[in-house]
Amino acid sequence: MTDAGFYASLAAARRVAAGCSEREAVWQSGKLTLFRYRPIARPAVGGVPLLIVYALVNRPYMMDLQEDRSLIRGLLAAGLDVYLIDWGYPDGADRFTTLADYIDDYLASCVERILRTHRLAALNILGVCQGGVFSLCYSALHPQRVRNLVTMVTPVDFHTPADLLSKWVRKIDVPAWVGEGNVSGDALNQLFLSLMPFRLTQQKYVHLLAGGLDSARIENFMRVEQWIFDSPDQAGAAFREFVVWLYQENRLVHNTLEIAGRKVDLRALRLPILNLIGKRDHLVRPEASAALKRLVGSEDYTALELDLGHIGMYISERAQREVPGAIAGWLAAR
Amino acid sequence: MEPDLWRQWQTFAAQFAPLEQGSAPSAEGPQGRHGAFGFAPFIDSAERFAAEARAFIGSSVNASASSLADGARKFSDFLRDQAAAAQPRWGAAFGIGNPNAANASAQWDLPALGATREYQQRAQRMAEAWRRMDDAQRRLQRLWSDALRDAAATFAAGLGTATPSAPSTEALNKLYDTWIGCAEDAYARTAHSEAFCGALADFANASSQWRGELQTTLEQWAKMLDLPTRSEINALTQRLRSLEERLPGASKPPASSKPPAASKKAKPKVAARGTRRAPRKAKA
Repeated sequence: MTDAGFYASLAAARRVAAGCSEREAVWQSGKLTLFRYRPIARPAVGGVPLLIVYALVNRPYMMDLQEDRSLIRGLLAAGLDVYLIDWGYPDGADRFTTLADYIDDYLASCVERILRTHRLAALNILGVCQGGVFSLCYSALHPQRVRNLVTMVTPVDFHTPADLLSKWVRKIDVPAWVGEGNVSGDALNQLFLSLMPFRLTQQKYVHLLAGGLDSARIENFMRVEQWIFDSPDQAGAAFREFVVWLYQENRLVHNTLEIAGRKVDLRALRLPILNLIGKRDHLVRPEASAALKRLVGSEDYTALELDLGHIGMYISERAQREVPGAIAGWLAAR
Repeated sequence: MEPDLWRQWQTFAAQFAPLEQGSAPSAEGPQGRHGAFGFAPFIDSAERFAAEARAFIGSSVNASASSLADGARKFSDFLRDQAAAAQPRWGAAFGIGNPNAANASAQWDLPALGATREYQQRAQRMAEAWRRMDDAQRRLQRLWSDALRDAAATFAAGLGTATPSAPSTEALNKLYDTWIGCAEDAYARTAHSEAFCGALADFANASSQWRGELQTTLEQWAKMLDLPTRSEINALTQRLRSLEERLPGASKPPASSKPPAASKKAKPKVAARGTRRAPRKAKA
């Protein structure tokens, strides 16, 4: 490829779009959309749908970035019936939306919709990162609604020694910092970049420059770049609760978390749990996820540690090879 | 013949210069930087790194141990300075670092008297918050500087024992990655420290107070002009939420584990506004 070709690839990559699998919106409420993905393979035995609960801090298309880097596509190929919650972009009208709203209202309503459609009593849930925390809370509050729970790069113990984010926010007056407004996604991006500033603000771009003139590689890079900085603002009340209750007070570990006036007791969780952990995750440290084992009451608990980082867990080649198969296999056995 | 590393790097950098159709790329002129979109800083940074690395490697060939150490020190000093320029500007949004800020706060440090007492006190609180932000910003900068010094020292120590290899793009990349590794390690040690966490929290807390006082001031001005304020809009929003929760027909998802009858075909549905939220006794 010529220099001009490289420049053209770079320019063309500005318009790359993320997302590859066909889906339809089956329910909407406010800014929330519940998507159902179209099957691409013979349905798996059992036919229990899998609901993916993604985090609020980034957009869920990271789960379906492009054909060769799509966890959702891998799950569909395994015959799973996949649903996904898109929380949307909160605005000023959502500033008082609480964790109770997200977990006991929005998430609960999505589950009810799916169960009604399939005439089932319970479904499977895959919670990702912060969405994993929501899934744990929901499962503890509504255990009869969840058949199997998969958590992926999900923080549970927020006070592990290597957790830099937790150390930073421990002494911050979070209610004052949030005020009565939303929290800017840009501010959160700056925070996340500050965790590894040299790698994330310099080295990765130098590597892009030095990595050869492969247009597919550049497009991959741009899709991830788009995702990283496509950060919705956070509903102020829910953000404040999440940071204070979990990052500062570590309520899941201390068994003191309440949602909508009801206690979230992880020890009461008896359902099968698969916990996917990234060994090189700098955002959710592996020990922060692995703590789940000692907190839940389930006797059917499986932890799968992969030598991957936080983002690599969704989009790396190794993740494509291992993660969907691991989830599908584990679910099929239950 | 030894390859001209500098020329190689310039050629590489020229790939990112703006290209008119059919024109030759150029990395030399300022025009070359402007068209490179967001890459210009990285090209500049990479070029400076390459130039300094080239000088270091060139001076190290057949050099004595002391000359080698001196060259490594100069190179690491350069890296420290370059990284310091790129460190986050925590207080830029508030004008922190402005030498006039201290004087500005001093003039507000007077007893609050008379009818404008409340205004004076608010201004004093803002000035105090500003001072605390400034102080925290300086502490953070010092910690950043210390981290970079540690990183540079570690990097230089590694260079001092290594025999410079024949210059190549790969060698430069490896050197650069080594520097990034040293910098991240040193930064991580600092960022985990009590001093850094404390300074960061002080900065955040002071800026929260400053912003809160400013909001109060602006709301007072808005009221004087009979303009709606954020507090009033928030109150209305809360009232709407409360009404929404009391709407007849609002129901929580059924608590029973028995599934309701399913429709034959799933249809996209949009929930009517206000029919989703369930009444709750305890608000979080």
